[in-house]
Amino acid sequence: MKTDAQQQPVGELRPDAIAGPSSGSRRRLWGIATLVMLPILLGMAFFYAPEDANQGAAQRIFYIHVPSAWIGFLAFFVVFVASIAFLATGKRTWDDTAASAAEVGVIFTTGVLVTGPLWGRPVWGVYWTWDPRLTSFLMLWLIYLSYIVLRGYVPEPIRRAKFSAVLGIVGFLDVPIVYLSARWWRSEHPTQFVVEGGDLPGKMLVTLLVGIATFTFLFLYLLSVRRSVARLRAQRELEGVAR
Amino acid sequence: MSWIAPALSIAGKDLRLEMKTRDVVASVGLFVLLVVVMASFSFPTGGEGREGVAAGVLWMAFLFAALLGMGRSMAIEKEDACLEGLLVSPAPREAVFLGKLFANLGFTFLVELVILPVFIVLLQLHPGAGTWLVVGGAFLGTLGLVTIGTLFAAMAVNTRGREAILPLLVMPVSVPAMVAAVKVSEAGFSGGMADGTLSWLLLLVGYDALFLLVALVTFQFVTEE
Amino acid sequence: MAGRPELGIALRQVSKAFGAQLALDHVDLQVPQGSFVAVMGANGAGKTTLLKVISGLAAPTAGSVTIAGIEMRKAGPKLRALVGVVSHETMLYADLTTQENLRFHAKLFGLRDPAEAVKRAVERLDVGHVLDKPVRALSRGTRQRVALARALLHDPAVILLDEPYTGLDEAAAASLSELLEELATPERVLMLTLHDVVRALSGPRRLLVLSGGRIALDEPIEGGTDEMAETYLELLRAEARR
Repeated sequence: MKTDAQQQPVGELRPDAIAGPSSGSRRRLWGIATLVMLPILLGMAFFYAPEDANQGAAQRIFYIHVPSAWIGFLAFFVVFVASIAFLATGKRTWDDTAASAAEVGVIFTTGVLVTGPLWGRPVWGVYWTWDPRLTSFLMLWLIYLSYIVLRGYVPEPIRRAKFSAVLGIVGFLDVPIVYLSARWWRSEHPTQFVVEGGDLPGKMLVTLLVGIATFTFLFLYLLSVRRSVARLRAQRELEGVAR
Repeated sequence: MSWIAPALSIAGKDLRLEMKTRDVVASVGLFVLLVVVMASFSFPTGGEGREGVAAGVLWMAFLFAALLGMGRSMAIEKEDACLEGLLVSPAPREAVFLGKLFANLGFTFLVELVILPVFIVLLQLHPGAGTWLVVGGAFLGTLGLVTIGTLFAAMAVNTRGREAILPLLVMPVSVPAMVAAVKVSEAGFSGGMADGTLSWLLLLVGYDALFLLVALVTFQFVTEE
Repeated sequence: MAGRPELGIALRQVSKAFGAQLALDHVDLQVPQGSFVAVMGANGAGKTTLLKVISGLAAPTAGSVTIAGIEMRKAGPKLRALVGVVSHETMLYADLTTQENLRFHAKLFGLRDPAEAVKRAVERLDVGHVLDKPVRALSRGTRQRVALARALLHDPAVILLDEPYTGLDEAAAASLSELLEELATPERVLMLTLHDVVRALSGPRRLLVLSGGRIALDEPIEGGTDEMAETYLELLRAEARR
């Protein structure tokens, strides 16, 4: 094919456009922040926050479950924004961001779906409640799994990016509708257990916020790692090395 | 150039093609009919509250019908670069999308209108005054399915998995519309609007409108090489 | 080259990437009205991509494509009304008849008098005897003619043909060459891709050779076609060596 001297990568395929500013140092920052916050969170979750009168010790999983949910949702919002940005600008780095956020989002959402039953079983005796939020997360999980599977079926990177972007946009716009339908469906099949958050006592709220902060750092760290892998892949493609 | 005229030409072409080959309706129609008949064996006839379960089975059947039909319809366009023929014409991308949408809607709805009476008879349902609700709900739910499905079918045929991955793409995203459609059909089978049926209908309308808009805007990205 | 450049096709720094491969690499090209261009090159050199970018099927990764001064990106449908495309696939529905296919496309193109357009195209391409036959039943050469009829329904000013000679026997190929000669008027632009050097040099008035997504040769075809043939073959050999 072409000799290296002749091939002049165009636009967003240029190495400097792919590598981006020193992502390595920021990644280390997120990583350290996570490592610092995680033991703090665990300590607060087990010792600082008061025990729930009704639910007992099992309620403490709330401090993992709820932050996971928030961050999972944040991840999919990133997919949405990155997808729109990709279609608008055509810059490949937006696709890398979207794909990375989707994968990281699936990790967090899986966490939600695992901690949910872990919480439900000791407290309410069942593994699954058709709680509208949990149900919505199940649907979200499925949508983003289909996003990842779709990507596996499209070998050509630019086409893959376009298809993913469309699915990313459709998937996210579906979220409120999924939530509404889960909620209305549940109100027709009411269950005794309520997973609503009411007013949280101060200490619980603080612990929760620490949890959200920790998971945000974890998200940023994982996203950064995954994105650098995506960029490396793109770089190797440029150099003609088989993936 | 307007959107509607080319869209109707495309839909008309699909209809003519279908009348000649009976490709889609035959395979899809028969399959769905079999599903319905087999499902009705697992029902206690004349049981209480079977309207809800019936609605669920009905929409599973409609979902299969829509997925098979849309997959086939787009696969036909892929042969001999016919889809490229549409894209290279002066017709706007939106018109091409609408044309395939109308065609898919037509086929699926045709299959549904055949299946419905069979279903009602086999399961001894008495919709009575709720029949309009059943038909209306079928239309709205199908519209949502076919809107998303046509968009995704255009993607699917351009992947390694071809139209086989269409169900994988459509099903997660269409769950809320399916839930709403089932609820509306259930009410219809039970005789008329129940509490909350209006909300479900509005959800369907919202879903259809939102994704029709999204599909019209994003179709060009899906079809450009 | 005769004709006014601003009514023709212009590519400015057009690149088209497929992943890491650049099918078109910063291509600058002017094709004025009245051009009859043969586009050659090894497989994968970018010939098909060039035509796809001009017809609007493919969006360039960078650069701009304009026809008659209007950017493809901005006014797709209007510009596509000026372009007729013939690919090596027919773009015809195999189970519909010739008549049905042509009528459909005439309506799709938004022609004011579809029946008249179909009649004219059928006469020009001499496919009247297969009007009621499904396309599936036609020979390759006849199918090609119906595909051409389809492409000419809206009397386009720009005609793009991607490897139209593939699979044609001598008689059909000769007839195609004749037709292309007829179509190559000062008002039109004709671009075709092909592999046959002899055919490329007898008919077309300009030779464009692509190599690795770039223009390796761009010369008018006048006398001395033996030289041109030699240059082209040399290019091919160089390509093969890489």
